[in-house]
Amino acid sequence: MSNPLSKTLLQSRGAERCFEAPITAVSVTRDGETLAAQTMDGEVILIHRDEVRKADAWRVVPVHDGAISFTQACGAQSFLSGGEDGRVVEIASDGTLAERYKGSGWVDCLASTSTHWACASKKEVRLYAADGAEPLKLLEHPSALSGLSFDAKGKRLAASHYNGVSLWYVQSKDATVRSLEWKGSHTGLCIHPGGEALVTSMQENELHGWRLSDAHNMRMSGYPRKIGSLSFTRTGRWLATSGADAAVLWPFFGGGPMGKAPMELARLPGLFVTCVCAHPQEDILAIGFEDGTVLLAEIAETAATSGNDRILPLCNGQRSGGVARGAVTSIAFTPQGGAVIFGTEEGYVGAVDLSAQS
Amino acid sequence: MAETQDHKIPVTVLTGFLGAGKTTLLNYILTADHGRNYAVVVNEFGELGIDNDLVVDADEEVFEMNNGCICCTVRGDLIRILGRLLRRRGRFDGIIVETTGLADPAPVAQTFFVDEGIREKAKLDAVVTVVDAYNVVQTLKESDEAVNQVAFADVLVLNKCDLLEGDALTAVEAKLRAINNVAHIHRAERGKIALEAILNRGGFDLNRALTTMPDFLEDEEHHSHDHDHDHDHDHGHDHDHHHGHHAHGPGGHHHAHSEDVTSHSFIVKEPLDQERFQAWIGLVLQEQGPDILRAKGILHFKGEARRFAFQAVHMMADGDFIGEAKAGEAAQSRIVFIGRKLDRAQLQRGFEGCVAV
Repeated sequence: MSNPLSKTLLQSRGAERCFEAPITAVSVTRDGETLAAQTMDGEVILIHRDEVRKADAWRVVPVHDGAISFTQACGAQSFLSGGEDGRVVEIASDGTLAERYKGSGWVDCLASTSTHWACASKKEVRLYAADGAEPLKLLEHPSALSGLSFDAKGKRLAASHYNGVSLWYVQSKDATVRSLEWKGSHTGLCIHPGGEALVTSMQENELHGWRLSDAHNMRMSGYPRKIGSLSFTRTGRWLATSGADAAVLWPFFGGGPMGKAPMELARLPGLFVTCVCAHPQEDILAIGFEDGTVLLAEIAETAATSGNDRILPLCNGQRSGGVARGAVTSIAFTPQGGAVIFGTEEGYVGAVDLSAQS
Repeated sequence: MAETQDHKIPVTVLTGFLGAGKTTLLNYILTADHGRNYAVVVNEFGELGIDNDLVVDADEEVFEMNNGCICCTVRGDLIRILGRLLRRRGRFDGIIVETTGLADPAPVAQTFFVDEGIREKAKLDAVVTVVDAYNVVQTLKESDEAVNQVAFADVLVLNKCDLLEGDALTAVEAKLRAINNVAHIHRAERGKIALEAILNRGGFDLNRALTTMPDFLEDEEHHSHDHDHDHDHDHGHDHDHHHGHHAHGPGGHHHAHSEDVTSHSFIVKEPLDQERFQAWIGLVLQEQGPDILRAKGILHFKGEARRFAFQAVHMMADGDFIGEAKAGEAAQSRIVFIGRKLDRAQLQRGFEGCVAV
């Protein structure tokens, strides 16, 4: 065989497998023991942490006819999956299925904390306690929903839609909403881990943000393409995004992002970033490109020290002679960051063990 | 461009006023034995009464793009739904988007100009407007939306023809022609129509622009630009030859909304100067975009063997070089505008002013 040093990390410390449909999302259980991917056809692939390198051992569980949304469940060892069939199904790491909700519309978004979960279908969000069979609240919105996220403390639930974001308090008795308004189509959202800001991606190749203390508007533009992926770094110092031929990082310190230029990371000229995911413990960003390249990049302290980026490729994309796995659609780390999973538009799922070699 | 368009999923926009027979037509498309699968995005779920997993319920959510273009509205729900439908491969051969009876077709069409993800995987094939032959004359008097739907159409399906006598039907067609003299008109009864007449038309396909620019333009030469002549074609069969002409309508007096919308077509026989044309059309769309519902053109530029196909929806335009003219084909440039408050003489002067010197 070839020199082991020439192998990519995906080959030497992980594995990949191709499925028939695009990968909609990947996720990891709260206990970090199971990684999973969801295909657009409605299958969920379960990967035990110890079997990251054994693609043959990955389990494929059919869940829906057509899947849309996917996230970790409240419990330590399961996932939530939403489908075109209007169902939300909980999938335990052993493959056991339990239907948590059945409606008529597509389940467009899912979000969870260890105590609550929520699903969005059309204009309605249903908020549930972890074990509740009936929703705590039905939250109506002015238009169809595009994004759903709890804040880091799990106290607030944000839902993006046309002309803004609705912010709901999880614990409040009455369903009073705080509306963050900005005209236009908001296509997804992301909340600062310290609760300082909320940022949405927009139809017009730009981001819109609100400082949550005073609802001050922030606008981050200049992207050549639509932004499909947003991720705050663990401390909230940077907001990383796709939408350019480098990961674009906006500073959320020193008065930023207003009036500050963003920093570019891991630029591959002419090759667009389609997915970003911040490492949960280190200042590292996982970056997926449109040709299936996935790499890890160290985030510099400030824009001034960037330029000599330290970059660790996980796998080569088609451009650099790798597998034609299509654009990277989703990336997730385990809670300690010891393993990473990604999925692509052409149905590839890759998982890599990043922990110290045993 | 031809290669990339081939694997794009064609999307047909089906419009029509309430009660015109859209649902009947949809049912027919979904159940007819034509060997093709269509995904359908509907707005009044349940009306269809068909159990089909490829029928998707949508809320028409129109929003304004933040791009400084005042008439640039798009359908956000379509971006979301088509984005999903187009990612799962091999499930269907085409998509039909049904709009509600009162909808303006422009946002649907503009969605295909605006969203890069949709553009990559799908192509707008045609706007098909279903018209209730019995009621349309009245509806056009009362509703701007109905006029827009007729003006926007690449194909007009004239439904409920069995309720009208031949002469009355001809008068209705004349009324429609007065608004839109480029659409193909097909008569139907109970939504039954040859599907090839409405699906895969290439109404927005620049490469097929020649076949979708009807012969009426040549006729204008013989009719000194007023294209006001008798109409005696039978549109009940597959015969794509239509003449534009002004309608006098069954009742004789129609000074309502529909009178506002007109089609204007022009021919120039000398080659055009490309830069002049681009500057002129840019200005026309910028200044009159809100009033221009559709525009199409096939142009010959000086020093360029290939023809240039052009189309616009309000202020959004799209253009590209297509194949060379065949030997014997006149090297003339043709353009048509459908819209409100259009100054025919001014447009004509402008177009003629693009001739290369």
